Amino acid sequence: MLTSLRLHNFRCFEGLSVDIGPGLNLFLGGNGEGKTTILEGVCVLLRLQSQRSASLAPVVQTGKKSFGVRGRFEEHELEFRYRALRRQVRFDGVEQRTVGEYLRLGRVVSLANVDIELVRGGSDTRRRYLDFLGLQIDNAYRPALRAYERALRARNALLKSPTARPREVAAYDAPLIQHGQVLLRQRAELTESLAPLAGQAYERISAAREKFTLRFVPGASADFEGDLERSHRESIRLRQTIVGPHRDDLELRIDDFPAAQFASEGQQRGIALAMKIAQADVLKKSGDKKAPLLLIDDIFGELDPERRNALLDNLPPASQKLVTATAMPWRDEIIADIIYELCDRRLRRL
Amino acid sequence: MSRTGGSSSLRRVFHLEVLKRTEYPEAIRDLITQLRQMPGVGPRSAERIALWMIQSRDDKPEQIATAISKTRAQIRPCKLCGFFATEELCEICRDDSRASDLLCVVEQPTDILPLEKTSAFRGQYHALGGRIAPLDHIGPEDLRIQELLDRIARENFSEIIFALAADVEGEATTNYLVESLKAKPIKLTRIARGLPAGGGLESADELTLYQALTGRTKL
Ligand SMILES: [Zn+2]
Repeated sequence: MLTSLRLHNFRCFEGLSVDIGPGLNLFLGGNGEGKTTILEGVCVLLRLQSQRSASLAPVVQTGKKSFGVRGRFEEHELEFRYRALRRQVRFDGVEQRTVGEYLRLGRVVSLANVDIELVRGGSDTRRRYLDFLGLQIDNAYRPALRAYERALRARNALLKSPTARPREVAAYDAPLIQHGQVLLRQRAELTESLAPLAGQAYERISAAREKFTLRFVPGASADFEGDLERSHRESIRLRQTIVGPHRDDLELRIDDFPAAQFASEGQQRGIALAMKIAQADVLKKSGDKKAPLLLIDDIFGELDPERRNALLDNLPPASQKLVTATAMPWRDEIIADIIYELCDRRLRRL
Repeated sequence: MSRTGGSSSLRRVFHLEVLKRTEYPEAIRDLITQLRQMPGVGPRSAERIALWMIQSRDDKPEQIATAISKTRAQIRPCKLCGFFATEELCEICRDDSRASDLLCVVEQPTDILPLEKTSAFRGQYHALGGRIAPLDHIGPEDLRIQELLDRIARENFSEIIFALAADVEGEATTNYLVESLKAKPIKLTRIARGLPAGGGLESADELTLYQALTGRTKL
């Protein structure tokens, strides 16, 4: 459980200190007041990555060189400082050489309106969805992902070089295949645990007859090495590696029709929610079996009361929740432990 | 003018004066800037070292200056292996009690000493001076790879041991060299990677465990 959060030079906040309660914490405020940024602060503190952007550079307040987040999670003191070429992670005041132990502590699921991009957006959104979960439940996920990305970037740089460098490209094949196979297997396994839970969650929250299915579409077959060989000519022509887990995707279908083209907006929002609920369910079943912390950003306004209640009923009850909303015509419906109002970069406890 | 405006401009003047009064003469500031170029020396240490140099009553700072110039003039890379040497060949390459048919390839000359300390290896070394790293714009031509191939063609090695880092670039560089050498009747091996001795699984970090798992050997 997270009990406190402090932000320093973090996006719009020069300094902000928040006490977090055990159950539901509600943050009220107009658009652009920085509600999402508070949730982002929690995500960066616990996961060392943002749920909003792939890079942490834009998190640094304009005109500043670094940002810092601190907080207390269970009996541990967490601290993360970021500047362009240096990241510093402290666990109970001790600087960490590796982030493994630090990241084992707090696990997070983020729910936001942009989640609809899971259905409508490009495959990178869906790979990030798998990675966000994989990094939280499998200690071998981070090294495999980082090593694969590094091998891929090096190999693509060689393919793009003005003079052909076939022997160097070939030298990077083995690490690409080795780490790529690990990553392909990990993502296939993740999808295997997510798919039934996502289907069930969709059924529960939509109260509809249509069926939602989730399937892993790997960017390479079990014979990744053979795929690489067979696509060699084409990758020389296109000057990039065209098979591998960087092409992985998830196939989302409603009653066997591709959801991106055939699902209504309401159904698409339902799918996105179901996928996130499945993430929370998988986290709850893995590792220390504790329910993850939930960051719920502004999604209640977009949902009709029925879906809103269905969502609240389907989120792990033991989860600590941080919820943002603009106005709250339905405040009574939610039992919040702490309600904050955010106005002019200041938090006021109601 | 409002009172707050007055006090803040007053503060600004005061602040400027304070800064001005506490600054060192330009010569000292230059020395601090120079010292800060050294690895591991931050602004505070640079200032302390500079003041010690200036205030020292004996000629210790001059002795250090002489030692720096002397060492820089004396030390050069060994022509054969790349390790630090005062003559054409380093101490290791000149030692004919060592096995002449075993060669250990490392990335940096600084990798040689840790291996030497184990006394598990009594053969020859070759430092590449880095690894093939396209993202850092380092290709085979930037490394001592041609020297290595020439040396292998010239001498009679029965085994070549690759002791490069266990990361992606280290692996790729090893693969590149193995590919260039595999037609020769020489045994090619690489050092085992794995868990630190005396540590259980729970004390190993995730990277070490991952490498130990992906680099596992058949029993
Ligand atoms: Zn030598």
